[in-house]
Amino acid sequence: MTTRFLIALVAHVSALLLSAPATAQDHPDLSGFWGPDFVTDTAIRLPQLLAQVPPDAVLIEDSGAAEFPRGEFGGLVLTPEAAEHAANWDAAQDMTIQRVCLPPSIVYAVQGPFPFEVFQTPELIVFQYEYFDQTRLIFMDGRAVPENQPYSKMGFSTGHWDGPELVVETSNIAASTITNNGLDHTDDVRMIERYRLSEDGTRLHATQWFSDPAVIVTDGARYISWTARPGEHVFPYECDPSFALEYAQIGAE
Amino acid sequence: MRLSFAFAAAGMLALSAVAAAHHSFAVFFDETRDVRIEGVVTSFRFTNPHATIALDVRGADGAVQHWRVETNAPVVLQRRGWRRDSLRAGDVVRIDGWPSRDGRLYMRMRSATGADGRAIGSAPFQTNDN
Repeated sequence: MTTRFLIALVAHVSALLLSAPATAQDHPDLSGFWGPDFVTDTAIRLPQLLAQVPPDAVLIEDSGAAEFPRGEFGGLVLTPEAAEHAANWDAAQDMTIQRVCLPPSIVYAVQGPFPFEVFQTPELIVFQYEYFDQTRLIFMDGRAVPENQPYSKMGFSTGHWDGPELVVETSNIAASTITNNGLDHTDDVRMIERYRLSEDGTRLHATQWFSDPAVIVTDGARYISWTARPGEHVFPYECDPSFALEYAQIGAE
Repeated sequence: MRLSFAFAAAGMLALSAVAAAHHSFAVFFDETRDVRIEGVVTSFRFTNPHATIALDVRGADGAVQHWRVETNAPVVLQRRGWRRDSLRAGDVVRIDGWPSRDGRLYMRMRSATGADGRAIGSAPFQTNDN
């Protein structure tokens, strides 16, 4: 973990400890269905959120549907080991029947072009993602990461309110992709997100900030936004690995 | 029945126009080029992570080519008016999209048009509503 990431973590925890207890109605209600914005106009971004991204973190612009081609990582500086891994990455392996339905971790999935739903209580917030049917529990009761907590693609998340912003810290994330083009994070990646509603409550804004010194010299960040779509719910994803067989048939007939 | 295919160079298309799923669109498909094919559907598979359309396309030399078309995830397609029976084997369809980077007979769909000239689904896939 980089020093700046550690300092920020301490700052977040301190803010939590120093803040007065608040009742549920004191906090914004993020509940509902949120569809990805696909907004490329950066003018919509909330300066309050951007200001809390560490200035030396690289803000990569691949949120939503945009993705980087092979060899491009949006300004992230890779360690030599990670750069070699990315250079040798075989994209076709992601299309095999063994791998095609493996979900990416939350480091990548949080910004993907699929909707999610939020269910909110004072003690627990649930993010239900349409992408690969993933469910994420965000514990708001002050608990620490349990001993022997398994590593998973969603990791282990705790949250607290910092004024109008939901701050989520996540660890125990199983190794997976960062940018979906050969840059992978390790089990040691740490991630902090901040969520904030727009003034009229129709848009949910977030920043994602991640650190994994084994693979990226610079910390990374993203800005993500979603629009409220009342009345909608996520669809079942139920990934079918037979897609890989279709891919294997290309040119075979 | 007329079967044909054509490639066409296109201006740079915005990356944000393409909804990708588990594997990278940018790695597999060339967003700077367009491809249009027209042929007879041989199968339509409607499951996530991507629906796929197999179709026979007659090339300029008269030979039939077996194409495969990747679409957005069915969870996305359903919100654009697609259903699991939107295409059936034997249907004639024209498909516009982006070609595979590796030159194989594989493409990513932007839009599909039936033999009656009507668009399949409510909107093509560069309108950015998921």
